[in-house]
Amino acid sequence: MLKNITIGQYFPGNSFVHRLDPRTKLLWTVGLIVAVFLSGGFAGFAVIFGYVLLAARMSKIHPRFLIRGLRPVLYIVAFTFLLNIFFQGEGAPLFSWKFITVTDMGLRRAAFLAVRLVLLITASQLLTLTTSAISLTDGMESLMRPLTRLRFPAHEIAMMMSIALRFIPTLMEEADKIMKAQMARGADFESGNLFRRAKAMVPLLVPLFVSAFRRADELAMAMEARCYHGGEGRTRLRQLRYGKNDLCAALSLLALVAVIALFNALGVF
Amino acid sequence: MSIEIRELTHIYMPGTPFETRALDNVSLTIHDGDFVGVIGHTGSGKSTLIAHLNALIRPEVGHVVVGGVDVGEKGQSLIEIRREVGLVFQYPEYQLFEETVEKDVGFGPRNLGLDEEAVKTRVREALSQVGMGADALDKSPFELSGGQKRRVAIAGVLAMKPGTLVLDEPTAGLDPAGREELLALIQGIHKSGVTVVMVTHSMDDAARLCNRLIVLNHGRVAFDAAPGEVFRHAEELRQMGLDVPECVKLVQALKARGMDLGDGLYRMEDVRAAIERKVGKC
Repeated sequence: MLKNITIGQYFPGNSFVHRLDPRTKLLWTVGLIVAVFLSGGFAGFAVIFGYVLLAARMSKIHPRFLIRGLRPVLYIVAFTFLLNIFFQGEGAPLFSWKFITVTDMGLRRAAFLAVRLVLLITASQLLTLTTSAISLTDGMESLMRPLTRLRFPAHEIAMMMSIALRFIPTLMEEADKIMKAQMARGADFESGNLFRRAKAMVPLLVPLFVSAFRRADELAMAMEARCYHGGEGRTRLRQLRYGKNDLCAALSLLALVAVIALFNALGVF
Repeated sequence: MSIEIRELTHIYMPGTPFETRALDNVSLTIHDGDFVGVIGHTGSGKSTLIAHLNALIRPEVGHVVVGGVDVGEKGQSLIEIRREVGLVFQYPEYQLFEETVEKDVGFGPRNLGLDEEAVKTRVREALSQVGMGADALDKSPFELSGGQKRRVAIAGVLAMKPGTLVLDEPTAGLDPAGREELLALIQGIHKSGVTVVMVTHSMDDAARLCNRLIVLNHGRVAFDAAPGEVFRHAEELRQMGLDVPECVKLVQALKARGMDLGDGLYRMEDVRAAIERKVGKC
């Protein structure tokens, strides 16, 4: 039950995409998101889709994992799709039943938003599947560093993020263990109405919270034992360096954005 | 009720790079009244095996039959299987959650649908089985000591009156006195007629308590025999990252120096008696 979550899960590998600098990948994802939002029609989406597909291929991640990661957000996509179909009044009606009218504009818009959502999710999945949590936060810290001049706690935020990310699988495993232990005592997490199910979570959540606090305590102790004193003057084991591959990735993305901009300028939708 | 495992194979996360074969064609039977020790190096499949015993993991390949009921069949009442086979996980104290000890121990029986009166008696019985008095009933489980917490957690499983009690490293993290106390409790539970399956890393505990040992190695059953028989294979055990009890080492060392005490000794008392027979009481 808890094992089917792929969002935010790193998938080890040594592909071109895996080897890119995390900062490149972060900016690349931001760029791709900008491209998705810039695109005004399906022609642009087709190009972006092709580009994402190519990137996915180069990352050597099985498409199955990308699709699996889409599953939890499928409801949101379906919901937006339906909402837009039914609540768009403009355009020529295609179908009408009582107060519900489906117009061609509505259908178009609904499909447009659904595709946009799927593209956004796939792009960000590509980032998290190919970048380990540690290098991701390293990259973020490095990108946020200029903000420290404005007293922005870049290091602290990056540290908190990496701790949080680091403990997701640990806590998930723990939750799984506690769940099994309570199931061995006859607990039932899967049947009953909503209220019953929520109540059935108590034997899981209380021990989970207790253990999260215990772990936080232990971690704080372990960090202090190794003289952690914040980000000042800290050197790193992994120095981030841009390489030739990063330039290629950046140029390809720029080309993509240019194509989308061109489409917009020429009115190709 | 006996538990029969037939050709059980379990693979974690099949089809991903994380794929691991935790159990590989395991067949064994746990008989009524047994005190079975399950030993094996870390990752040998011990925990996966015991999670199969009460249907926390449903068998995908192979069968687990508890008291004549095939666990893998659809529509089986899982609660009955989980009542029959009580499972105590490693560090069971981390699963305590209620405000009072009484409520926490009563969680299992209450899930069985017993009425409040019956739950009350069972809680008291279970607590006395683990050597806790009635004064603990109203305490918060979080204010108890480590060893007490563990005993309360075990009582939480005993309160369901299982025919078989499965314990995953029950003494992990306890001090020597706490270990001895807990092992004595488990021995007492076994004497009261409960079949016990205990996962352990301590060869000495296994030698002292169990009448049968199952040795797992890379998800396969390497040995399944009486302790005396298993500990004959010292070299093979060492290759699996395991060991023999200290007193077996003593017997071997004495043999190497010319004092043959005979084969198949693995209990400290027996070794002591054999030495005394040889050299006379001191």
